[in-house]
Amino acid sequence: MNRSGKIRFLPIILALLFISIASGCASTQPKDTFDNNDQLEPVNRVSFNFNETLDQYILKPIAEPYAKYTPPIYRAGITNFFDNLTYLNVVLNSFLQGKFGQGLSDATRFIVNSTLGIGGLNDIATPMGLEKHDEDLGQTLAVWGVGQGSYLVIPLSGPNTVRNTPDMVTSTVLNPFWYISNAILWPVSALNLINTRANLLEATNLRDEAAIEPYTFTREAFLQQRKYLIYDGNPPLEGYDDIFDDAEDGVSDSDTLSIE
Amino acid sequence: MRSLLDQGNFKYISVRLVRLLVSIMLLTFAQVANTNEPTEESHDAAVAVIEQLHTNLLEVMQAADTMSFAERYSKLEPTITESFDTPIIVKVILSRYWKNLTNQKQENFIQLFNRQTIATYASRFDSYSDEIFAIKTVEQLKKGRLLVRSEIRSKGESPVNLDYLMHNNNGNWFIISVIADGVNDLSLKRAEYSAVIKKNGFENLVTNIEKKIVEMEN
Repeated sequence: MNRSGKIRFLPIILALLFISIASGCASTQPKDTFDNNDQLEPVNRVSFNFNETLDQYILKPIAEPYAKYTPPIYRAGITNFFDNLTYLNVVLNSFLQGKFGQGLSDATRFIVNSTLGIGGLNDIATPMGLEKHDEDLGQTLAVWGVGQGSYLVIPLSGPNTVRNTPDMVTSTVLNPFWYISNAILWPVSALNLINTRANLLEATNLRDEAAIEPYTFTREAFLQQRKYLIYDGNPPLEGYDDIFDDAEDGVSDSDTLSIE
Repeated sequence: MRSLLDQGNFKYISVRLVRLLVSIMLLTFAQVANTNEPTEESHDAAVAVIEQLHTNLLEVMQAADTMSFAERYSKLEPTITESFDTPIIVKVILSRYWKNLTNQKQENFIQLFNRQTIATYASRFDSYSDEIFAIKTVEQLKKGRLLVRSEIRSKGESPVNLDYLMHNNNGNWFIISVIADGVNDLSLKRAEYSAVIKKNGFENLVTNIEKKIVEMEN
C-alpha cells in the first residue's frame, strides 16, 4: 500500500470519527461504572476473545523472549522513540484542554527530544524538568463534557470507549511515521507492537494472576484508569465511598437478581 | 449602689469576674481541645495502621530471597487480618447477593476473602529494589471516613499511588478499600464477582477464588 492507499482509508476513518462523536454526544452515562457501561457486551466479548487468542498464540510468545533478551537500555530507547512519535497528539490535546503552560512545555519537550534526544531515542527532556504527560482526544472530549459512551473492545487494538475512538484518527495523522514509506513503516510498526506488548507483560501477568473473570476485570480496570487520566490523577473525592453508604443503608438492590 | 462599689465588694466582684473569665477560658479551651484532639489523634491512629502495614510489607520484601511464600503469608497474616475490615468489604463487594447467603456461608466467605487478600500481598511483594513507602496526605471524607494517600517510590520508575479508604469501627481504624493508580480494587471485584455469580452462581465464585489462592501459593 502506497501513500494514496493510506489516504483511501481516510473517509472510513472520518466516518468512524463522525459516528463516534455523534454516539458519544447522544449517550447519557450513569455515574456508577457498575454493570451499566457495557451495552455492547456480547460483541465486545467476541472481540476480547479474539484479541486474547491472538495475543496468547502470536504476540505474547514473541514479546516474552524479546523482553528477556533485549538489553534494558535498548528497550528504553525504543520505547522513548515511539513515545516521542506519538507526542504531537499530546501537545495538541494539552492545548485543546486549555492547559497552555503544559502545552508549551509538551511542545518544547517534543522539540528537545526530537533534536538533542536524537530522534526521541533519549528522553533528555524529563531531567530538564519537561515532564511527560498523558493526554489524548478522548480525555479532551471528556473535559469538554462529552459522555463516555459505551465501552468498546476493538479487534487488534483492545479496550476503548466510544468517546475515545476519534483519538485513533488524531493520533494516527499526527504521528510523523504515518507519512513515511511503507517499506519502513511496516517493519518498524511491528517492532513498536512487540515492544509495547513487552512493556505490558508485567501488567497482564498481574491481571492473569488476579482475575477470576478476565473480561470484566479488564473492563473495570480500563475504565477506572481512564477516569484517573481524565482528572490527571486527581479524580474528585465526592462519591468515592458512596458504595459504603449503599451497603449501610441497604439500598444497593438496584435489581431483583438473586443467587442462582 | 454605693455599697456595691466600696472596697470590699469591688474586690469580691473582681475576684468573681476573674474566676468567671478563667472558667470561660478553660471551658473554651477544653472545647477547642475536645474538637481538635480526637480528630488529630484519630488521623494519627489511622495513619499508624497504614504505616504498620507498609513496615510489614517492606520487611517481607527485603527478606524475599530467604522467605518462602508460606513464610511471607504467615508473617503478613496478623497485620492484614487486623488492618482490613473484611466483613464490611465483602458485604459491599457481594452487594445484593450478600443477604441471600446463610450466616455460615457469609462467615466462610469472609474467611476465604481474607485468605485471598493475604495471599495476594504475599505473592506480589516478593522482591525488593530499594522501594520506599511514603504517606502523603490524609483527607477527610463524609461520615468520618478518611482517605490516606501514599505512594511507593522506586528508582528509575514513576511512583505508584496507593490510596487507602479507611473507616472507624468501634474506635479502631480499618482499611475498607485500596486504590492503586486510580484503580479501586473493591469496585473492580464487585463488578467481577457479580459477573461470575450471574453466569455461574455463587459456588462457582468460591471455587474460583480457592483456585486463585492455590495458584498464588505455587
